[in-house]
Amino acid sequence: MTSTRSDEDLVDGTLGGDEHAFSELYARHRQAVYSTAYRIIQNAEEAQDATQEIFIKLYRSLPVWTREKAKFSTWLFRLAANHAIDCWRARRRRSETQVSGETGDEEWKEYSLGEAIRSPYHEVEGREQVDEIRRCVNYLPELQKKVFVLRYFHELKLEEIAEVENCSLGTVKTSLFRATQTVRKALRRFRGAK
Amino acid sequence: MKRPETRHYSEEELLLHIIGEVAPEIRAEISAHLMGCPECRSILQEYAALVKSFGTWSVPELSEESWQSSKARLMTQFRQDREWIRRKGLLWYMRWGALKGWDYAMENPLPTMGYIAAAIAFASERTITIFRLDWILPATGEVFRILRQVL
Repeated sequence: MTSTRSDEDLVDGTLGGDEHAFSELYARHRQAVYSTAYRIIQNAEEAQDATQEIFIKLYRSLPVWTREKAKFSTWLFRLAANHAIDCWRARRRRSETQVSGETGDEEWKEYSLGEAIRSPYHEVEGREQVDEIRRCVNYLPELQKKVFVLRYFHELKLEEIAEVENCSLGTVKTSLFRATQTVRKALRRFRGAK
Repeated sequence: MKRPETRHYSEEELLLHIIGEVAPEIRAEISAHLMGCPECRSILQEYAALVKSFGTWSVPELSEESWQSSKARLMTQFRQDREWIRRKGLLWYMRWGALKGWDYAMENPLPTMGYIAAAIAFASERTITIFRLDWILPATGEVFRILRQVL
């Protein structure tokens, strides 16, 4: 059941201790937060855990959010992206200490292989392309990765991203362009190699 | 200053044009330039296809069951946090009251002594029982009785 209460109303309710308001905020934004986390961490299970942690963080930092500072959803996505970056960093450190260092990728390869067996040729090609985009995004510098995910998958305006990231619009524009260019080059190489 | 007609648009400008991040007047300029420039048009088409391809990166669906179990854990944490904040809030108010009282006593020593004397004088047996003063210090009741007589 969806209610007509605005995010701001729900935030006020949550701050007043209203459990239903918080529960509704969760229901409303869980998918978007999970998508952000997944695209940065690139592991469904860890993204799910991160989503839960993001909502706890959200609840704890609600008193510092003011509507003048940023729109609630913009602020939430920034919180989600920052937390996901932390998780991704921890995951990278873990995989660096592992001898093989390939756990996450192996999971993905297994998934891709399974999909490949079931899918027609063009779908496999599409899947391989997504795999390449995913791999490339994984190696982007942190700010570029955040801007990339927030702009292309959540359609936040670059000005909004600059505002919540506390950096200039120029920096955000350059980050997005560099990230896009990196992916473009990787896809060109990928297509050339095929 | 008007942009020289011979200059091509940069890839960054074209990308920002695709995603609608340029000012309307520049947007019109770029559109006009693209009409007569196959080079810029080709770069624009490549970037447009690239941006479109990002949409194919889907996210694995989570079952309603796993959302629900996540929510249950989250709400438990929410309740624990509320309880912690409530306790912390009470302690905070007590500390705040004590500090304010201390400040007042330092600025107004005589009235403060008067209030303390009045409190002692009117402290009844019941006050002693409620605050368990006799339990903390068995002789408290006796001390209060003597103080009342003296005052």
